[in-house]
Amino acid sequence: MASLLNQIGAVTALNIRSAPQRAMMSIASVVAVALTIAVLLFFLALANGLAQTVKGSGADDVAIIIREGSNAELNSVVSREQLSILSTGPGVAQRDGRPVASGELLVIVDGLKRSTGTNANMPFRGIGQEGLSLRRSVRITEGRMFNPGTNEIVVGAGLLREFSGFEFGKTIRLRGTTWQVVGVFEAPGTVFESELWADIAVTQSLFDRPNVYQTMRVQLGSAAAMAGFQEWAKADARLNGLEVMSERAYYARQASQSTQGFLAIGSVLGIMMAIGALAGALNTMYSSVAARASEIATLRIIGFSGYAAFFGTMIEALMLSALGGALGLVIAFLAFNGRTTSTLGAGFTQLVFQFQLSPGIVVTAIATAMIIGFVGGLFPGIRAARQRPQLELAAQ
Amino acid sequence: MNDLALMRKNLFRKPVRTILLAVSIMIAFAILGVMLSFNDAITNFRTLPTRMVTLSKINFTEALPMAHYDRIARTEGVAAATHMNWFGGYFGDQRSGFLPVFAVDPETYFQVYSEDLQIPTEQRDAFFSERTAMLVAEPVAQRFGWRVGQRIPLKSNIFTNNTTGTSTWEFTLVGTIPTPQGSSQTGSVLIQYDYFNETITFGRDHIGWVPFLTTSAERNDHVAQAIDQRFANSADETSTQDEATFNKSFSAQLGNIALVISLVVGSAFIAILLIVGTTMALAVRERTKEVGVMKTLGFSSGRVLRMILGESLLLALLGAGFGLLAAMGVLALMGQGGGGPQVNFAPSVLLWAVPIALALGLITGLAPALQAYRMRIVDALGRR
Repeated sequence: MASLLNQIGAVTALNIRSAPQRAMMSIASVVAVALTIAVLLFFLALANGLAQTVKGSGADDVAIIIREGSNAELNSVVSREQLSILSTGPGVAQRDGRPVASGELLVIVDGLKRSTGTNANMPFRGIGQEGLSLRRSVRITEGRMFNPGTNEIVVGAGLLREFSGFEFGKTIRLRGTTWQVVGVFEAPGTVFESELWADIAVTQSLFDRPNVYQTMRVQLGSAAAMAGFQEWAKADARLNGLEVMSERAYYARQASQSTQGFLAIGSVLGIMMAIGALAGALNTMYSSVAARASEIATLRIIGFSGYAAFFGTMIEALMLSALGGALGLVIAFLAFNGRTTSTLGAGFTQLVFQFQLSPGIVVTAIATAMIIGFVGGLFPGIRAARQRPQLELAAQ
Repeated sequence: MNDLALMRKNLFRKPVRTILLAVSIMIAFAILGVMLSFNDAITNFRTLPTRMVTLSKINFTEALPMAHYDRIARTEGVAAATHMNWFGGYFGDQRSGFLPVFAVDPETYFQVYSEDLQIPTEQRDAFFSERTAMLVAEPVAQRFGWRVGQRIPLKSNIFTNNTTGTSTWEFTLVGTIPTPQGSSQTGSVLIQYDYFNETITFGRDHIGWVPFLTTSAERNDHVAQAIDQRFANSADETSTQDEATFNKSFSAQLGNIALVISLVVGSAFIAILLIVGTTMALAVRERTKEVGVMKTLGFSSGRVLRMILGESLLLALLGAGFGLLAAMGVLALMGQGGGGPQVNFAPSVLLWAVPIALALGLITGLAPALQAYRMRIVDALGRR
């Protein structure tokens, strides 16, 4: 056993020291793996960043109520009557004798995407007085909150980074009325940062949707009160057709919807490119075996086993692809990890988020690179091990 | 044995190597084909220079009052105008059965989009006269196995039907619209606005947007200004754009797709270029002695150069051809899968693929071919 290890070590050293002779092919193979891994990481980091932002938006102790079957707020309806019934539910937190609840209406307005200069859908949300306190991650960082009953808007910092038209202090005309941007809020890593907020009553009247609510948010005393609140809502006939869930569950569902497409594209492309890179790795290793045919034959004649020849080739292949994988990771970290971007989210409005690598994604990438290396070393390795030394040498 | 046969023999003297190279080229072209087809489907709408669209200035999801339509249609320079509403339609399951269903005013719609609607007169007349009539694009009918004359229940994720109190409407399929030539669009579903308007519980007498034709493209800006000024400072201000601009901003919403496509396709091709280039160089190096023999036999240097370039071109074209076939296969599979997006192979992919394949073949073959071209017989035969 020890001698086999020694043999493998010797052959591997031989392979690696002779690698510069095949420098171009080795580099080609490393770069092919690196680019494959970088493309795979691009889509995984995109999907992960999007998922983290959407998931990170929800709290466990806030209930969100939408129309049953609505896949987005835009096509949900909650009536004013249902709204007041819901705020009397069990476990609803109170402040100054009033329930902490907010009926909300989402309309879409146009913003200008900074990078392309084209129109893009901005979520304009009318929120109740408790709307701000229902979202604990939100802080006003510039200016102030809008005053209830006025045409004032506060804008998310994420939206401002990617889109223009709603800068702090700016006056905007919508539906023949002027609105003033009076504040900027931050809510890092949540969907709220991509929104515009105004007073619900003003939004309803100026957008000609009198008394229309789409969703309602209710603060419960604790996360444990959620089940009881849901039971109660189910039992009340007047709340028929509504769906009650925790904000966290609501956003988790949206996250899986929004990311499926990117994950599908990423895996199809990843698999395709991996096959291409595999073809490259196989070629490199076959030529490596062919180039060293006489060396391998000599080693076999002086007593090295076929296993040594096999592992020598395998280890070289694994090292090349590991190098490729590492290079791919470096590209990913430098080129796009942490970059801000935006896409159309589940609510048919723009959502700003960051490319985000995670330990799981890094492991997936390394595993993919190693699989390419393993298969790329397997068949050439077998060929190396099966070479008949006398024939090889006689052919020279 | 002619040169082509010699090239073929040379190419396949190590079949495993050649197949591996062909596979990697194939993959790159399959990626190119799929990505460009997607890009084509979301950006390359069939547009007319005289076709424009008026929508709400706030956002295209905001409805406009019906009265706007008459005013736009009467604006000077407008040849024909129609109006459309988004139905939010789906068949069966909300996610996998998504359909772009539009409620339209049939007669004016056929005026504004006449060239896209090549259907038999009796089907057209049926759509004009039957209140519950529905026209669907051929791929949609094929996907669900619908036949003309069938009653089809469609659901809306926005509206409620006031005759039943549910979100389901029944329509009669009166005809199918063939996919227009040169379009990779898989088409939409059309229903009658009047029927839609009478049966919805809210949003009545409102229209989504107004597509119209101008009398000439030079007047577009003038007409757009006239319309938008007319509604300025009203509660429902408008924004009028030509069709191409509107479509462009719509697809730009998904993100910077062009950039993503060029990144992915670009990296795939750099990888392939490196792999194929180095392998070709190696393959020709292995043949040094042969080149010497060929030159000794009287093959001119130019002929040797042409043969090696021909070999790499043959490989690139072979891989590209199979890659494009694979792209068609992948797109067809995605279409059949139900939930996946329906995208047809865009013929315009060839405009990119053919020059890229030629360039790939020439670039990868150039260095080894030049080497063989310059090689002296003495060196070639002396080298081991």
